[in-house]
Parts: sequence; C-alpha cells; structure tokens
Amino acid sequence: MIVEIGHYAVVTALLLSMLGVAAPIIGLKRKNAAWVQVGQRALILTFVLITVGMVAMIYSYLTEDYSVKYVYATSNSKLPIFYKIAGLWGGHEGSLLLWAWILAFYSMAAATLHWKTQPVVMPYLILMESIVLCGFLLLILFLSNPFERIFPAPLDGKDLNPLLQDPAMVVHPPLLYLGYVGLSIPFSFAMAALFSGRLGEEWVKVTQRWTLFAWICLTAGILMGGYWAYYELGWGGYWGWDPVENAAFMPWLVATAFLHSVMVQETRKMFKVWNLFLIILAFSLSLIGTFLVRSGILSSVHSFAADPGRGVFILGFVAFMLLLSFGTLILRSAKLKSSVTIESVVSREAIFLFNNLFFLVALVTVFIGTLYPLLMEVLQFNKVSVGPPYYNAVFMPVALGLIFLMGIGPYIPWRKTTAKNIKELFGLPLMLAFGAGVLLFIFGIREEYALASMTVVAFVAAAIFIDFRKIALFWGKRDRVNPFLGFLSAYRRNPRRIAGLITHVGVLVMIVGITFSSLYQTEKILIMKPGDEVSLKSFQLRMATLHGAEGVNWEGKEALFDIYQEDRIVTQMRPQKRFYTVSQTPTTETAIYQTNMGHLFVTIPEVSPDGTWARVRVLHNPLVLLVWYGGGIMGIGGFLNIFRRDRKRSVVSVASGVTAKTAPSLASGRDGIVAQRSES
Amino acid sequence: MAAFKGWHVLLLVGTLGLLAIFYQGLWGNPNFIPPVIVETPAPEVTGPDLYKGTAVSLSDFRGKVILVNFWASWCQECKLEHKSLLAIKKHYEDDPNFAMFGINYQDKDHLAKDYLQVHGNNFDHIRDLDGRISIDFGVYGVPETFVIDQEGIIRHKQIGPIIGDVYSDMIEKVIDPLLNGTAGIVGTVSSS
Amino acid sequence: MRKSFVLILFFLIAFSGVSFAEPQDDEVLQGRIKEVSKTLRCAVCQSESVWESNATLAIQMRKIVRERLIAGESPEEIRAYFVGRYGDYILLKPRVRGLNRLLWFGPFILLSFGGFFLYKTLRRWASKPARTEPVAFSPIDDAHRRRIEEELRSYNE
Repeated sequence: MIVEIGHYAVVTALLLSMLGVAAPIIGLKRKNAAWVQVGQRALILTFVLITVGMVAMIYSYLTEDYSVKYVYATSNSKLPIFYKIAGLWGGHEGSLLLWAWILAFYSMAAATLHWKTQPVVMPYLILMESIVLCGFLLLILFLSNPFERIFPAPLDGKDLNPLLQDPAMVVHPPLLYLGYVGLSIPFSFAMAALFSGRLGEEWVKVTQRWTLFAWICLTAGILMGGYWAYYELGWGGYWGWDPVENAAFMPWLVATAFLHSVMVQETRKMFKVWNLFLIILAFSLSLIGTFLVRSGILSSVHSFAADPGRGVFILGFVAFMLLLSFGTLILRSAKLKSSVTIESVVSREAIFLFNNLFFLVALVTVFIGTLYPLLMEVLQFNKVSVGPPYYNAVFMPVALGLIFLMGIGPYIPWRKTTAKNIKELFGLPLMLAFGAGVLLFIFGIREEYALASMTVVAFVAAAIFIDFRKIALFWGKRDRVNPFLGFLSAYRRNPRRIAGLITHVGVLVMIVGITFSSLYQTEKILIMKPGDEVSLKSFQLRMATLHGAEGVNWEGKEALFDIYQEDRIVTQMRPQKRFYTVSQTPTTETAIYQTNMGHLFVTIPEVSPDGTWARVRVLHNPLVLLVWYGGGIMGIGGFLNIFRRDRKRSVVSVASGVTAKTAPSLASGRDGIVAQRSES
Repeated sequence: MAAFKGWHVLLLVGTLGLLAIFYQGLWGNPNFIPPVIVETPAPEVTGPDLYKGTAVSLSDFRGKVILVNFWASWCQECKLEHKSLLAIKKHYEDDPNFAMFGINYQDKDHLAKDYLQVHGNNFDHIRDLDGRISIDFGVYGVPETFVIDQEGIIRHKQIGPIIGDVYSDMIEKVIDPLLNGTAGIVGTVSSS
Repeated sequence: MRKSFVLILFFLIAFSGVSFAEPQDDEVLQGRIKEVSKTLRCAVCQSESVWESNATLAIQMRKIVRERLIAGESPEEIRAYFVGRYGDYILLKPRVRGLNRLLWFGPFILLSFGGFFLYKTLRRWASKPARTEPVAFSPIDDAHRRRIEEELRSYNE
C-alpha cells in the first residue's frame, strides 16, 4: 500500500515536471510571471512527491516488504538497518530514484533561493531543470521502476551485493550524485544566459558557489569510491582507470577547468563563450557518464546490468540534451562579439588559458582512452583494451604540466608582467625545486616519474609557501600582530584566493601520496600455511592461525598474522575470505595496519578447500594516506571558498554601474551588468 | 546573419559522431572477445583422460576432423547443449574421419564424473589440470567449441551453447563440408 | 542467451576455488612476473589486470607468465603468446600501430598544436591595441591589487 502511494507520488511528480516544462514556456510567450510561478510551484511539489516516493521505498526496506521486486533484489532480513536503507541505491532502479530526488532537491533549492534576485533567469532555470527531471522520471517509471511488485512475494530478499555492504559505499553514490547533479544548476544558469542573451558575468558569479559545492561533492565522491576500491576489492590500488571511474573523473576535470576559467571572466570579462561551453560540457559529461554506466556499453567492474531498452532511452535523452545545449550555444554565440583584451602572453589570463588547454587535453586523454575500445568495436577493427599502463604513460605527463602551472598561475600578475618580475617571482621557487630534486636523488629516489613529480611539487609548494609567508609578514606588520594573525588577517581580506591556494596545497599532498604509493609500493603474493613467515620491507609477517569465522550473513575463513618489526611484535592482522550465504558471493576482506602515513595491507584472496593454506597478498603502500588527506585539504579549501564572506559588496554594484556607463562597447545592451543595474 | 566559425562545425560534427558511436555500440557486447585463433594451427595440447588418466594428445588425431568442446560441471549453459553434443557424436559414429573430445575446464574430478553420470556420455574427455589447454585455445568462458580440420587448422569457433540452429549449422555448415572437402577456405565464428 | 553466458563468467570468477600448489619465488622473479602480468588483461574479469585479479584464469595466466619467464622468454614474447590466443584485447597497453597511434599521440599532438595556436592567438591579441579603456577591467580586484602592490612596494623599501 505504502509503496503504491510512493509510486503514484512519483507518477504525479512526472506530470508536474511536465507542467514545469510547459509553464515557463507559456510564461515567456505571454510575458506572464504568473505562469513562471506555476512552474516554480510545480518544481517544489515535484521535490515533495519524489521525497514521498523515497520514503515509501525506505519504508518497504525497513518493513522487509520483499513483494517489492527491487527491495527483494537488494536487501535481506539479516542485513543491519544501515545497509537496509543503503540498499535503495545498491542497484540501478533505486539509485536512479536517488538521482532524481537529488536533482529535484537542487532544482527546488535554486528556484527558491534565487526566486527574488534572478527573475529573468527563473523561467529558463525552471524549464531546464524540469526537462532533465522529466527525462529521468520517464526513465524511472517506464524502464526501471523500483516500485514494481512481484507475485508471489518471496520470503526473504536476495541480499545487497556484499561488496556494497560497506560504510564508504553507503555514502559514495549519494556524494557522487550530489556532484553530478549539482552541475545542473550552473548548467541551467548558463542556458538561461544563452536563451536570454544576458551573457555577462552575472550567471558566473551567481553560480560560483553551486559549482564549488558540486565540485566538492564530486571530489569527495570520487575519493570515497577510490577508498572503497582500495580495501574492498583487495588488490591494493585505489584507482584502476576503469570506464566507470573515468565517467566520474571526466566531469570533474571539466568542472575544475571551469572553476578556474570563470575567474578570468569575472575579473577581465573574457572567455564568455568558453565558460558557457565548459559548463555545458561538464554537465553533458555527467549525462554521458550516466549513459556509459547504465547502458552496459562498456565493460567495467561497476556497471549495472545491461538493458538495450534503457540504453536507447538514455542515449536519446543524452542526444536531446547535447543537441539542445550545444545547438543553443552555437546559434547564440555566433552573434556574440568577442571582447578579448590581452596585453601580454605572459599574464595571468594567458596562463589560465594554458591551464584550460591542459585540462582539456587531460580530458581528451581520458575520453579517448575510455571510448577507444568502443570505437574499435563499432568500426569492427580488432578489439583492444586500454588500461592503466596507457594512462600512466599519457595522462601523467599532462597532469604534471597542470601541476606545474599551479606554481605559476596564481602568482603571475594580471594583464602583463616583466622579465624582472618573473625572475623575482619564480627564481627562488625554481631554485628550491631544483635543490629538492637533487636532494631526493641523493636520498636514493631514482624513478624518473618520482623525481619529476616531486620536483614539480616542490616548485609549487615553494611558490605557495613564499606567497603565504609574504602576505603573513606584510599584514602582520601592518596590523601590528604576529605573522600567524597576519595570515588570518590576509585571509579575511582575500579569502577566495587563499582558499583556492589551500585547495592547491591539498592537490600537492595528494600528488605526493599518489607518487609514492604507486611507484614505491612493494608487494608479494605467496602461498602460506600457519607457521610460515614472510618479510616485507621492515616487517615480518607470521601466519599464526588460519581458522573459520562467521558473521550475521556470511561465513568464511580468517587468517591471524603476527606482525614483527625488529623481532618485536607490533600488531596482529586478521584478513578474511568471506562467503555471503544468501547472495552466494565471496569477498576478500582486507586487513590494514597504519605505519606513518603508509599502510601495511594484507589479504587472503584464496583459501584452500581443506583450510590448510591460503594465498596471501601482502603490500606496503608508503604514504598512501596522503591521497585522502590531500583530498580532505582540497575539500577544506573548497568549503572555505563557499562560506567566504565577500568584502565590499557595495563597491561591486557601484563600480559595475560605472563600467556600464563608461564602457558602452562592452555593455552592448544585453550585458549582464546592465541587467544587474536595472534590477537593483 | 550569424557568422558560423570552424569550431561550431567541429562541435556539431563531434557531438553527432559521438552519438552515432554510442548508438552503434549499444548493439555490441563489451565482453565478447573476437577469436584470433580461428584459421591458425590448433595448439599442441596434451592432458590426462578423465577416466583412464592416460595422456591424450590432440596431434595423435591429425588427419581427422576434430570437435573440441570446453565444459565444466558448474556451467549452466553446458547442460543446455549437452544433448546436442551427444547427438553430434552419434551422428558421426560411423565416420572414421571424425573425432570428438570434451575438455573439462576449471573443475574437480569427481564433480565432472558425476555430471557425466547424470547427463550421459558417449565421447572422451580430457582434464585441463592447470588451465593450460584452455589458455592455449584462447578460451575465456564455457561452453566454447572448436572444430579442427584434417590439416590441424582451427576452422570454427562456437562461443556459447550449441542449441537450436547452432546445432544444425554445426553439422551441416561446419563439420559435413570439412569431411567432404567442400568447406570454404575461410574460418567461421559464431556466438549464441 | 548472451546474458546468461556472461552470468557464467561471473559464476566462474565466484567459484574460483581451484587450487594449485606453487613454489615460492625470489623477489626479482616476482617483480618480473608483476611487471608482465600488469600489462595483461584478465580475460574473464572486467578491466582488471592478470596481476590484480584473483580469478582462476588470472592465476593460471600468472603461472604461465612465470614459467615462460623462467624458460627465458622476454616480456614481449610472452605478450605475443597471449595475443596469439586472445588478440589485442588481452593487452592493457595498446600496441603503438595503426589507428592506435591516435590514442598514443593524439593527446600530445593536441597539446602541442593547441599550445602553438594559443600562443599565436595570444600574440595576435596582445599586439592589437585594447579596444576599451582600462575601466573595462573589474575595478575590485584590480584596484585592490594595485593598492596591495603599492603597499608591498613601500613595505619592501
């Protein structure tokens, strides 16, 4: 009964989202704001109704109603409550519902928060969001209905995929969707800018925090997925360049490029079309990602079950969105006069362009790497695989170039610079970087990649440190406080810049982690019996026992390892080989011992049927924790940026007023500045 | 009139091309591995007979058309095609130029014997102890079936079970022409 | 039909309990096994290498890699053996030939052409006199920056 209520609620939500498409169009045609209001109300109600659908599904999970097919497929009475709820996004249908719900939430929030301040954008925003919602609700209701019943009702569920019974996996999909879907808001604003012809800086400024929030969620979601893969799949890596991972990484790359290039538009009013293109591309890539993951078109560990019907529908939808958005961009931008003013090739805006070039090349690398096997199949050539060795060879140099730019872009002045200036700015960091490289070489780092990446990291770190030191001393002296307070004072004066640099610090920390954990990983695979010993780096691992173990919904084997360091026992580790009885799936549970910032990592991927020996995989991953700590710092930088207090808001409007008056060539009558003034 | 630039065209063509590739790709199977081994000499493989334990080499049967079927007791689709296999063997019972082997893939000895007990058996089986035979043949799942000609060249690979049309094609279009010497020179592959 | 065939593959991965006693190797040999098997795709898995996968087929393939290394074959020869059986599909690192060159050099060509084009364009823009007066620049950041620069200068002196 409850499930049927949920079902009807979502059906009604679909009808309302159709109204959300129609109402703003009528409103625009008749120039009647009341219709736009109808659209907004429809959007809010859509959110409420999808929430009802979500609650109904969760209710049937909690009440163990296995007559609902999807609940039957992704849950079991033995599951802990936590995983019962998470079962909702443990499969294709439910995770789509979550997608739609998050989308509805974002739309509702944007349509409410900006209702007063952005009346011109509103109809287009409501229209675009409703279109996307409509597409996903159609897909849910007609091709992947989670509310479907089965008869007769099974007694118990088939269980949630054991690999997903994990805390990281519970939060990973919602975070990822918050990121994917969050990009729809700046996308809608961009489309509104295109439709309304207000291609000024306003949409960029308004959507900044939306983009940042989506970016943080996407970053966190990707890293969480990496952590999950790291200890749940049990091969000791966190990133396998799997098509599904790439599908999340591609929008991230474009969103990051976008976050950078909008700064040029804000300060120098350039690259308007480019920014529109980037945000459309970012959201399109999240839609394409959805298509790749859910159509079963690519071979991947994470893909959902294939169904050509779904694939065709999603592809149709993606095609519609791509053609609509890029088509509008082409038609509108053809009329836009470019207003580029570059004074020097060596200037911050120029470096931003190179930054974008590198991001684009990085994207292209991942994109063709992911789709190349598909292309070969379609062309009926020999089938090929593109795996980590390819990306290591091609992606990494490009990434290194990007990181190098991190040490230049933030310090080079806008507009132009002199040779003397450059020497002052980068002389010291370059010397420090060179020194660091030599030092690392002396300390026995011989891998070319490690040397290259650490030298670049040292360069960027030195540049950031010198900058931080300079502003801390300066403001400390000015405000007559110590340098630390001086730094805080500097932060208050320009929070955006410093938050951005903190994110850069996070990237550096992560790069150190990635470099060392991948290039200096040591690993052994061997067969061990109780009593056997193996040594890895400074550790001795002795398998004490190999015994049976069981949990609520699994049974299996556990190995007990005594870990010695210099003949002293430091810890015990208990890797397991589990067999989940309901779903009949084996899993490998990792045991991890933290040493400094690294991990000792033990799994037993295989235990002999008679239980006398186990195949053991032992790994030492130096500095691997820095990957996630770096991610954490990136997130902190992002949040500082979202919650920053902008100074001198009044100056902005007055100043842009001045701009509009005195620079008629820019304010071609449709410019955002004029719009802003007439609204305020 | 709006001025269209190079990148406009590029963007549009790129988008359409991408959509076309996606559309085509929907009808493919990402897990299908096109066999490169067809039309090459069959690998020299040797393994113990399932029952007798004596070593059997495929090369001992040079000069005959050989059907090699990879199967396992845990494989559901092998059960579907088992009747067809028995029928094929029966069909060529009197033909001295035809030989047929089952290769037991990633399986346990007693489970394989139980399986044959239940489903019936009229041909010889070789155990693939450490996966060497199946890797030599480029097998990546069961059931897979190969047909080798008199010269020892692999002429046909069947991925998936031999049932329905695949069964009659196997006899009429693959094995018979090879036995009569009327087969074309091009190897064939099919999957079901 | 195809779907259930795939299911069987999963089944196969799931019940890979087949066991093989194998000798323990010294670190150098294991390092070489790792190096080679990391470039081979586990044919029954989904984008996992032979080194990482625990599927029976991957374990068997590792064993073959090991034996061939001991027999003195080069990594290239070993890869050629697998390519002869499974085709290019088995290589995680596509060979640099034919259309694959697009994959290998495309990004770098794009980068160099893009960089060159960008540089040229920037030079062209830079040589053109600005069509608008400096007011076109956002006054907040620039004014602020100029002030900071001035103050910094006075501070440095």
